[in-house]
Amino acid sequence: MSVPTYPNGTVRALLDTPHVSEATRAAVQARLDAPASYVPQFLAPETYALLEAVAARILPQPDRADAPIPLAPAVDQRLAEGRADGWRYDALPPDREAYRMGLGGIQEIAQSQFQADFTALNASQQDAVLQALASGTPPGATWATLDAGRFFEEMLAELTETYYAHPLAQEEIGYVGMADLPAWTKIGLNEKEDREPGFSS
Amino acid sequence: MPDEEVLEEGVLNPVKPEIQDPLLRALLADEPATAPVAADTPKEQPQAIEPEADEVDCVVIGLGAGGAPLLARLAMAGLKVVALEAGPWHNPEKDFATDEKAQDFLFWNDERLAAGGNPLAMGKNNSGTGVGGSTLHYTAYTPRPLPDDLHIRRDFGQGEDWPVSYEELAPYYEEVEHFIGVSGPTPYPWGPARRKGYPLAPLPLNSAAQLMVRGAEKMGIRTSPAANAALSARYYQEGVGWREACTNRGFCQAGCSNGAKSSMDVTFIPLAVKHGADIRPNSFVTEIERDARGYVTGVVYTQNGEQKRQRCRHLFLCGGSVETPRLLLLNELALTSGQVGRNLMAHPGLQVWGTFADEVRPNKGIPGGLISQDTHRPAGADFIGGYLLQSIGVMPVTFAGQVARGRKLWGQPLRDYMRNYNHIAGINILGDCLPHADNFMELAEEKDARGLPKPRLHFTAQENEQRMNAHAEKVMRGIWEAAGATDIWAFQRYAHVIGTARMGRSGDDAVVDANGRAFDVPNLYISDNSTFPSALSVNPALTIMALSLRTADKFLEQQQRRDR
Repeated sequence: MSVPTYPNGTVRALLDTPHVSEATRAAVQARLDAPASYVPQFLAPETYALLEAVAARILPQPDRADAPIPLAPAVDQRLAEGRADGWRYDALPPDREAYRMGLGGIQEIAQSQFQADFTALNASQQDAVLQALASGTPPGATWATLDAGRFFEEMLAELTETYYAHPLAQEEIGYVGMADLPAWTKIGLNEKEDREPGFSS
Repeated sequence: MPDEEVLEEGVLNPVKPEIQDPLLRALLADEPATAPVAADTPKEQPQAIEPEADEVDCVVIGLGAGGAPLLARLAMAGLKVVALEAGPWHNPEKDFATDEKAQDFLFWNDERLAAGGNPLAMGKNNSGTGVGGSTLHYTAYTPRPLPDDLHIRRDFGQGEDWPVSYEELAPYYEEVEHFIGVSGPTPYPWGPARRKGYPLAPLPLNSAAQLMVRGAEKMGIRTSPAANAALSARYYQEGVGWREACTNRGFCQAGCSNGAKSSMDVTFIPLAVKHGADIRPNSFVTEIERDARGYVTGVVYTQNGEQKRQRCRHLFLCGGSVETPRLLLLNELALTSGQVGRNLMAHPGLQVWGTFADEVRPNKGIPGGLISQDTHRPAGADFIGGYLLQSIGVMPVTFAGQVARGRKLWGQPLRDYMRNYNHIAGINILGDCLPHADNFMELAEEKDARGLPKPRLHFTAQENEQRMNAHAEKVMRGIWEAAGATDIWAFQRYAHVIGTARMGRSGDDAVVDANGRAFDVPNLYISDNSTFPSALSVNPALTIMALSLRTADKFLEQQQRRDR
């Protein structure tokens, strides 16, 4: 099956309608309105730039070259505030340490494979570095003490959830669940309400 | 927050709870004058703190499925009861957004450490906080266990039997189903005949449920609309008024905003408040105080940054399978059996996902619309116990996170796969789990923000769970292939932490007796899924509520005997 694509603008159009509750509108609008520039609160500027570069390969957005959905700010903010999501792999150190070590370790892989900083590599070289990390046995001293597979999974999950929490990413996959008032009545196979977007493939 | 103003005084409650215990019935009938005056308003603000000398009959710690039902029962019996809940008291209609990230506050987000071969995801997967506990985000899938679920050792020679029989629990299941409003099929296709059917017709089947019907029919597997604790029609709720029917938001796991899902905050808690229970949100208990005989005399808790004490004659610990044993271990309480923190079990919750040519739009409708218990004791199985099958819808962020963790997709392949979201549907199992010496909860050296040791949960799926997963994966892949799915993949997961303060017949190998009373401490009761001797092959919430009512009745019965 070819990949379905959905029209742009459906979420913004629905936000101003009575199909969206006040609480929902506040949450979704805040994410749409987040400023494009962000000054890192926790990570050092060069480490933050590295995280941004990694995020750009984990979720490449060539279709949004001018205004990509920001991913690194959510991670930096969470680490700065010391927020957790209720659990952590016992094999990993606390989140702040894990991210610092892990991002340093990504730099080590880049140096080992290409003798250059990760941010200086081209896209396919960067992907090769991340592929080595994802494989679970990358080169570098960091990975002797930090579980590469678990770290990659945690970082991947956080960036992915941040991306798909954004209303424009939800629009991209044809989701308008935020517009659930007064009810969904067409919930069966091949049924949709008028306010749900159709797709082309 | 329950709104007492909508209570329609003149309307008879069509589902007035039937009191099972004859002594409690007598108490309620004979002594109406002893019942405290019903509170007129819910207590939104932190309560004025009782002076230290002000001892109450009962303190209940935790207001989820274990604490709320017994709180209502004790308040109805005229006892002076105080409930301490670690989380806040929400107003879902106003505060709950249809947005997964915005709803993160429903989960117990203090860090737990997940160790072992199959580390347990906690947070949104397994925990809750707030007045209503985990029921604020449970899927409300409420099948009863089948009678032999309680006798795994009798039938297989491994695991543990329950000291309570299905026959003893059945009236409580019925009472809970009718009080909170469970929608489900009558008659129910599996298990013994029931005295009463479900009070409401099943909820409508969403796409995932329809697809599972399609595949299962071809495989010769019987299915049925499931029992869900969400209203398929308006329902009158004592202490609340009319609750409206489910609007198919599909957001059960991120909080129900219209009160259609039967969480504790729209069912047992308003009932408890009506009968005078004192609810104190944002109250985190740190200490359980005792006298020289070892009886509990009160608790110390922190509310909004201030340390407070509440004295009590009886304590009901209902914090769930992590916080309950954590409090016992921190306070070195009820530990002589050596079982506190041990026997940690988690339900195999393997999911199988597939992509369909049909439009699914999996965010709509009750997520678990369909059930099959044909796999309860599958013929020729190479494992002990069994599992149920459930169709599943899913919200986008939850699904994306599982795709990341389960398929490890990243880059363009991740974005391409996620574009199929509206064509994806899942099936999952919920299977029994055997206790094992390697699976336990302990206090770690690492401290949390409160300065208390973090809980560390060790879990490794043993051979029995692995064999069950393998069996289930084959069955579910078969159903999805028969239904026409492509790109089928399995996501291994475990849900619900169970068994860390188990009940039994003797204090030698159990923490509490069949009534929930601690063997070591006569005025301490535990009511939550930590007391389950075995995991059961069904979701735990309904059984937690049923046991909670039973524990309250047994406690009241014992008090009555003492009074005479």
